[in-house]
Amino acid sequence: MRRFIGRISETQVGALLALSYLLFSAVFWAYPFIWLTILSFSDWRYFGAPRFSGLHNLLVVLRDPDFWGGLWNVIRFFSIYFPIAFAGSLGFAFGLKHVGRGKAFIALCFLLANISSGVAFSLVFTKLFSSTGPINNMVFSCFGFRIPWMSDPTLAMLAIALVVAWKFVGYYGLIIYSGLQTIPRDLYDAALLDSTPPLKRLFRITLPMINAQLIMVMVFTILVSFGIFTEPYLITGGGPLGRTNTPMMVIYETAFRRLQPGHAAMMSVIVATASYLLIRITRKLLERDVKLA
Amino acid sequence: MMATTLRRLAGTKSAGGWLITLAMYGLALSWLYPFVWMVMTSLKPTPEVYTTSLFGGQLSLGNYNFLLSSATRLHRPFLGALGVSFGVTIAVTVSVLVTSAFIAYALARIAFPLRERFRDFLLLQMVIPTMMFTLPMFVLIKQFGLINSYGALIFPSMMSGWGIFMMSQSFKGLPEDYIDAAKLDRARLWHIVVNIMVPLNKSVIAIVALFTFTGTWDNFMWPLIVISDVDKMPLSVLLATFSKQYGVYVGPVMAGAVLQTLPLVLLFVLFRRHFLQGMSLTLK
Repeated sequence: MRRFIGRISETQVGALLALSYLLFSAVFWAYPFIWLTILSFSDWRYFGAPRFSGLHNLLVVLRDPDFWGGLWNVIRFFSIYFPIAFAGSLGFAFGLKHVGRGKAFIALCFLLANISSGVAFSLVFTKLFSSTGPINNMVFSCFGFRIPWMSDPTLAMLAIALVVAWKFVGYYGLIIYSGLQTIPRDLYDAALLDSTPPLKRLFRITLPMINAQLIMVMVFTILVSFGIFTEPYLITGGGPLGRTNTPMMVIYETAFRRLQPGHAAMMSVIVATASYLLIRITRKLLERDVKLA
Repeated sequence: MMATTLRRLAGTKSAGGWLITLAMYGLALSWLYPFVWMVMTSLKPTPEVYTTSLFGGQLSLGNYNFLLSSATRLHRPFLGALGVSFGVTIAVTVSVLVTSAFIAYALARIAFPLRERFRDFLLLQMVIPTMMFTLPMFVLIKQFGLINSYGALIFPSMMSGWGIFMMSQSFKGLPEDYIDAAKLDRARLWHIVVNIMVPLNKSVIAIVALFTFTGTWDNFMWPLIVISDVDKMPLSVLLATFSKQYGVYVGPVMAGAVLQTLPLVLLFVLFRRHFLQGMSLTLK
């Protein structure tokens, strides 16, 4: 009988614990979610009651060149960042596999970049990239010219992509590395017996076997491309001429500088939906269920 | 001869493996270059920053003095901001760790009604992009009258669905015997979580702690939006505004960057072993 009571109270405790999180989510997740929906279809300037305005916000946002510029910059950033980060993390993972001693040391050096402050290192890299900074001094002494990192739109985007890649390559690389670790040796032994050429081994065994990890890295790069704020805000401030303005910066500007929360809410919904759909499509197209026969 | 020695030193058998090892060491060290440059620059007088070699120049703590004394002269209270950052970050991290541990235990080990639904809900929350919540969260905080208060920085982050999920995944892996034995002794929930689950799942807890601490400490956009009072700014935002206005003072800005980075690096170095072990958990 006592055991019986004990069991009931344990389930109740479990339910109460779960409930505490649901309450928290109701306030700090569901409620904002409702507000976002209301704001997207309302005219509101932070005071009074929101007035329903139908699809007006959508029309305004779709005509806003800054918004389209922000989305276009996501594509520009991604097309620079993805190759660097993807190749870098693959290289890191394959390199790490060959390292005998000191794997942990190398991994920690790279991870330190991942765990360190985005704010601080945005400032550090701004100085490193500046026209009289150490990088340009080195380039100048070798080649006799300076790289206009901050005044050329593509170079400015490249600078941001390099900073973000510096931060994430170690993390992505370890994800891929953990995938490489799970590939059974027999597969390679069999391939060696059949004298399969190395390139074929790579494309027929290694890459398909780490499909899950590669997709994960891809998803992360997409999320970063849509979500970056700190680095462009601090390194370029969106310039030159708004060519490094990210959606998050446009939303921030619209909501808190132009004081148009309705427009910003609609932008948030569109950008979040776009990133969500893109990730779904990526997974659908590239995800393979890898099974060992 | 040379090659064999190197190969043995590197501990690898494959031909050319030692070359890769060497390259990886080189890369790893070059990855640290921004750290070294930041620390060295923070010790140099500003005019010498771009003219001296990395380790050259007159090194002193002058920039740190300048930074900490700028509280009164430039109205940039860095010491206070450091306090705000520590207070907020520790409050959030402790709260996330405690709530996550208990709720994760419930999710992993207690068969309460609709448990699977609860897990689905956590997964759903993690899939929906968080970026869209920034603006309505601001509206909520404004309605609560919490703009320009520490509550605005703490309350929205006091629990973490990700933390709960991560810990529950790890708790599930523990053999049933441990808990059965404790239950036979009629151990209280508190005792089971604190004395059994936590010590046996240190890695995942270290991961959740480290990511929560870093995420809160280095959060920039949120405090930028909700805190406009200079005296209540966390270090991340104060440093950014300082750099925006006084960016030409490279030395002091780098001293601020060191202050902003140091706690994260210390924590990382302290927990590095748990962190590397725990990484394999997040990688799944």
